[in-house]
Amino acid sequence: MSAVVVDQVTKVYVGRDEDVHALGPVSLTMQRGETVAIVGPSGCGKSTLLRIIAGLDDATAGTITVDGRRVVEPLDNVGIVFQRDLLLDWRNILDNVLLPTEFMANPGPNLEQRARDLLDQLGVGGFAKRFPWELSGGMRQRVAIARAMMCRPSMLFLDEPFSALDALTRDQMGVILQKVQAAQSVTTLLITHSIPEAVFLSDRVIVMSGRPGIVLDEIVVDAPRPRRLAFREEPAFAALTRRIRLHFERTGVLVE
Amino acid sequence: MTVVTMTAPKRRSRLPEIVGAIATPVLSAVLGLGAWELAVRGLALPPYLLPAPSLIFQVIVDKWALLWGQLGFTALAAAVGFGIAMVLGLVAGAGIAASRVVDRMLYPWLVVFHAIPKVVVAPLLLVWVGFGLKSGIIFVVIFTFFPILVNTVTGLKSADPDLLQLTRSMRAGTWKTLWKIRMPSALPSIMSGVKISATMAPLGAVIGEFVASNKGLGHLLIQAVGSLEVPLAFAAVVMISVFGILVWYAADLIERRVIPWHASQRIKTP
Ligand SMILES: Nc1ncnc2c1ncn2[C@@H]1O[C@H](COP(=O)(O)OP(=O)(O)O)[C@@H](O)[C@H]1O
Ligand SMILES: [Mg+2]
Repeated sequence: MSAVVVDQVTKVYVGRDEDVHALGPVSLTMQRGETVAIVGPSGCGKSTLLRIIAGLDDATAGTITVDGRRVVEPLDNVGIVFQRDLLLDWRNILDNVLLPTEFMANPGPNLEQRARDLLDQLGVGGFAKRFPWELSGGMRQRVAIARAMMCRPSMLFLDEPFSALDALTRDQMGVILQKVQAAQSVTTLLITHSIPEAVFLSDRVIVMSGRPGIVLDEIVVDAPRPRRLAFREEPAFAALTRRIRLHFERTGVLVE
Repeated sequence: MTVVTMTAPKRRSRLPEIVGAIATPVLSAVLGLGAWELAVRGLALPPYLLPAPSLIFQVIVDKWALLWGQLGFTALAAAVGFGIAMVLGLVAGAGIAASRVVDRMLYPWLVVFHAIPKVVVAPLLLVWVGFGLKSGIIFVVIFTFFPILVNTVTGLKSADPDLLQLTRSMRAGTWKTLWKIRMPSALPSIMSGVKISATMAPLGAVIGEFVASNKGLGHLLIQAVGSLEVPLAFAAVVMISVFGILVWYAADLIERRVIPWHASQRIKTP
């Protein structure tokens, strides 16, 4: 059984002057433990789709099923990382990571130790008692990932998590994300507008059209894990990115 | 696969910064007072026009008991009025931020209330409440309520929508969201309202005393001017000002304690 089933989902935002058909119809599935990347042009409804799957927004039509159940309210087993890290300025790093546990009825024992282990794993263990403004963008985003993983979610949703970072930091974050996934199996949805990032990090890339976004193609990335940075220089990698690029050229998203 | 682990650097000493922050304004004050003293002596101005700082200081020392007693009265009105305004402002502000109905019911009243020039209300208070502490307190409340209210509403409404979405995904309830997200997000705004109001409180008390009191520094000031005791009037002004400055610094200190994490409070490194 698929962990996530998206069935004929559309979204129309009702506006004052005119309605915006933002998304769909879109259908897709995610298997347990799989990493699915969605790549598509800006404004095609990627964030909208993520919000709908997470139960943060309603679909205009269609259904979402997670672990066999219709999604009608925010999911309780998902950790989310947005483009902005959204750390709380008034809390130190450790307390930021602990935030999601404070909304749970039964968060379990040894929370602080778990938070510290996660920070260590993400390479920011030395900053537990520092405040967010004392950290660089990349380090803050590592903390946001730790926070998302704090309650041992079965799913991790990432909405352009590295878009605001410089290229080198972004590469580093890709490596770190894989490390986190290796330590704890999570079904991962990665939204990105970077073709290489989608291929490098995912098991399957879903290519979306411009607004209203529909699925143009699904591309399986059959490469062993953990993937080394050198994977991006292999012919197989280039073949996959080329295939995605051609979709964007054909639909006029990329014009030469 | 190796991950680079970063370590935190040591904190820098803040001492030079603090010395500079204190020494510069003190120097500025000394220069200003010196110029005043020299001008009065050089031009041989009579004390009933403009007393020299040294004379004002002399009067403060001589009449310390009187001034101190009157200051106590003014400070009491300011403090009690400010406290009431703060409670009212926070409660009304939270109500307006939380409920559209409360917002729409209160809003027109608040606009009208704010549009009335507060000074002209003072004589009416005299009619309604009479001389004394009570009307001073009411006047301070009228003076200081609005900034706290407005800043509370703005603050509570300004929580980052993306952040609220994130906590919704953590399945945070309304009250926990209010307490853990909205309130801290509102604190910088609330604190600036509190700061404005805190410094307006002594002013409100004094203006109230001009009209509706037979005690306090405001009353003393009016009396001194009436009997052409200009140095005494200046002494009262100095007392009021020093009190206002102390209130300002106290509010500033509290702000630092309450929101050390806010951008406005961080020590800037050159
Ligand atoms: N809350 C909203 N209200 C109205 N329109 C929205 C809202 N959110 C997104 N949109 C519109 O829907 C479209 C898709 O947005 P989004 O899902 O954010 O795209 P993406 O994440 O792919 O860039 C855009 O045209 C955007 O302007
Ligand atoms: Mg988006």
